[in-house]
Amino acid sequence: MSSPNGLVCFTNCLIPLEDGSLVEKDLWIDERRGVILDSQQTFFVRRERPDRVIDLGGNIISPGFLDIQINGAYNFDFSVYDGHDEDYIQGLRHVASKIVETGVTSFLPTLITQETSLYPKLLHLLRPVSGPDAACVLGWHAEGPFLQLAKRGAHAPSFLRTAKDRIKTFEDVYGADNLADSEDWLMSSGPNSGTLGVRVITAAPEVDGVLDSVKDLTSRGIVYSIGHSIATTDIATEAVRRGARLITHLFNAMPQLHHRDPSIIGLLSASPHLSPPFSPEAAAALVSQVPHSPVSLVSPTTAQARSEALDDIVTPPMSPVVKATRLASRVPSLQHSRQSSRPELHLEKGQVADMEFERPFYELIVDGVHSHPNSVRLAYNVYPDGCILITDAMKILDPNLKDGVHEWRDGKRFVKEGFKLYLEGTDTLAGSVISLDACVRNFSRFTGCSLGEAIKCATFNPARCLGIENTKGTLRPGADADLVVLDKQGNVQSTWVKGRQVWARAN
Amino acid sequence: MRLIIRDDPASVGDYIAKYIAKRINAFKPTPEKPFVLGLPTGSSPIPTYKHLIQLVKDGKLSFKNVVTFNMDEYVGLPKDHPESYHTFMFREFFSHVDIDPGNVNILDGNARDLIGECKRYEAKIKALGGIELFLGGIGEDGHIAFNEPGSSLASRTRIKTLAYDTILANARFFNNDIALVPRMALTVGVGTVLESREVVVVVTGQRKSLALSKAIEEGVNHLWTLSALQNHPWALIVVDEDATAELHVKTVKYFKSIERVQDEVEARHDLLKAQGVAEEVNQVGSME
Repeated sequence: MSSPNGLVCFTNCLIPLEDGSLVEKDLWIDERRGVILDSQQTFFVRRERPDRVIDLGGNIISPGFLDIQINGAYNFDFSVYDGHDEDYIQGLRHVASKIVETGVTSFLPTLITQETSLYPKLLHLLRPVSGPDAACVLGWHAEGPFLQLAKRGAHAPSFLRTAKDRIKTFEDVYGADNLADSEDWLMSSGPNSGTLGVRVITAAPEVDGVLDSVKDLTSRGIVYSIGHSIATTDIATEAVRRGARLITHLFNAMPQLHHRDPSIIGLLSASPHLSPPFSPEAAAALVSQVPHSPVSLVSPTTAQARSEALDDIVTPPMSPVVKATRLASRVPSLQHSRQSSRPELHLEKGQVADMEFERPFYELIVDGVHSHPNSVRLAYNVYPDGCILITDAMKILDPNLKDGVHEWRDGKRFVKEGFKLYLEGTDTLAGSVISLDACVRNFSRFTGCSLGEAIKCATFNPARCLGIENTKGTLRPGADADLVVLDKQGNVQSTWVKGRQVWARAN
Repeated sequence: MRLIIRDDPASVGDYIAKYIAKRINAFKPTPEKPFVLGLPTGSSPIPTYKHLIQLVKDGKLSFKNVVTFNMDEYVGLPKDHPESYHTFMFREFFSHVDIDPGNVNILDGNARDLIGECKRYEAKIKALGGIELFLGGIGEDGHIAFNEPGSSLASRTRIKTLAYDTILANARFFNNDIALVPRMALTVGVGTVLESREVVVVVTGQRKSLALSKAIEEGVNHLWTLSALQNHPWALIVVDEDATAELHVKTVKYFKSIERVQDEVEARHDLLKAQGVAEEVNQVGSME
């Protein structure tokens, strides 16, 4: 049922704008080119109007959701490679074709810490792909191996490592061609590639060599994300100053919010009072002060059964180990620059003073388990424009999977109870299995924000973080016509990729 | 001239939309013989557009064989500027009805040769056999299209400098900064409007009441350009109660009585038509 002139008009619908509002407006797309149209220009300049009009009955038509952290789904684990490229590619395609039922039209396969030798191979396989009738694979998100042992979550401790030779170590581990400048990286990705690809690396800035690699990574177009870390406020701030753009699963695998040293979480409300120029020498001094694994390991349980993001180590209440005050007294330059940071007050109400840097985006797993609803609201209220919803899902994510007991692996079985997964016979959480559309609905409930504002956190915000907001996560003219139709309660009704309907709810 | 008085702007819009629908449907337009319609912008016609859109959605009216000419457009404002009349027409009307984009004509305020643009516009109207019905609104100073006070009543489509009053009134659409309001516009002339076979003008709100009084209760005067309508054989002004505030009670009562008589005459004609008595074709002019 295509349109004779290739143009389609969605009418009687609500459109989420980039400010989070929902407005009644028609949306015009070109289904042949798979892009969103400037309707007024199409009318007056091209002198055409869509031959096909689709009445959405008052539903919402949103940009398709972007999931920038997902470990697997539909029984395929992005981190498992059996030695056959074909099997891996097929598994990837399987996920891409199924996941559209959750409203996701683009995703970033995420690798948990691997045996070092596997990275070059796996990352090479994770090139951007816009398959027909499937969600778009945007590139890759490498979570590890440069992580803090004390906050390793489910990452295998034996594979964690430092980056002693800085960017050189990153290249050795991931493969130099996988870390090439954006354009070179895309050039080598073969005929099946899209023109758009993103790479995200989650690493702990306090791990030896990481902080000094951030600028190199950023300059090559790679998004550096702070995560699985015990960085102090000073180190975390310095990482942002050098280009860190994201915080991996906020609240999880990082120190709790401590008022004297708010650490990574505190970046959400980074104070304009503390944005002084920061000398590299001082930063180096900071890093050298951090003990490698200073937290006592309290009851380390079996890691493999736990959620990748959840701490398997209980952090003591005084969790930021290196106290900021102590540290600052050892680095005199800090004290000095702070005093001179903001010499003047201003008189304009509602106008927050400029910052030296932009606050990083932050990921939230909104399944009600990984972060309490109060915590979700806390983060969102502090910095709404930085909020990104993720699933961080494991391979057992499948919205069609019934509640009950299911086979897992190694003869173990798990119990699925809604969005919660337990190892059979225990109360041990076995990871995240929430779908992104459910996260959007939860987010709206948890924070009290409108559905339009929740949608923004799964569309425009992640796209902006990855620097692809002209083509994905937006309804701007010229953007890809990747769309999801939602009812007013946020339930997915149909999903469109590049102007073609790829999934619709069975009536 | 007929003056129709309704309670509020919504009822005015409903009346005019139904009237236009009746005219278009009676015309039975075809691709070879389209209905040529003149259209205005501004806040007054919005209820009319809303009701026209509803008629199209209800299947009672189609714009497939309707050609439109808009009254005016700012000079130098990009077509996709939120305040351009291109944007207004697309947002309020064209995007919601089944009109062919090729049948829509709006003056190009960014044309390199503005005078040539105006001449082409006039020529195109003429080539299509003239405008069948011109819908218009008025400004507080009684201007029709951008024919500001003092405009020639015989004027054609041309470049026009906006009156200071109009610039002030429009500043609210441009961040309340009069420096941002365009100073010039292209507009059809009073003569262009008068040449159309029928003129329908919407006047709503108390702010327009003085202009209405000047236009219909006093003589033809280029300081209130709408008054030129007194020389048109088939003119209809539809107003709300607020807009009658400056009219004499006598005037209001007179026009209300005309409406009743008109209804009776139309009912009789419909009856004759049903009985097969041939109706006089090409009747032009109100039945007052």
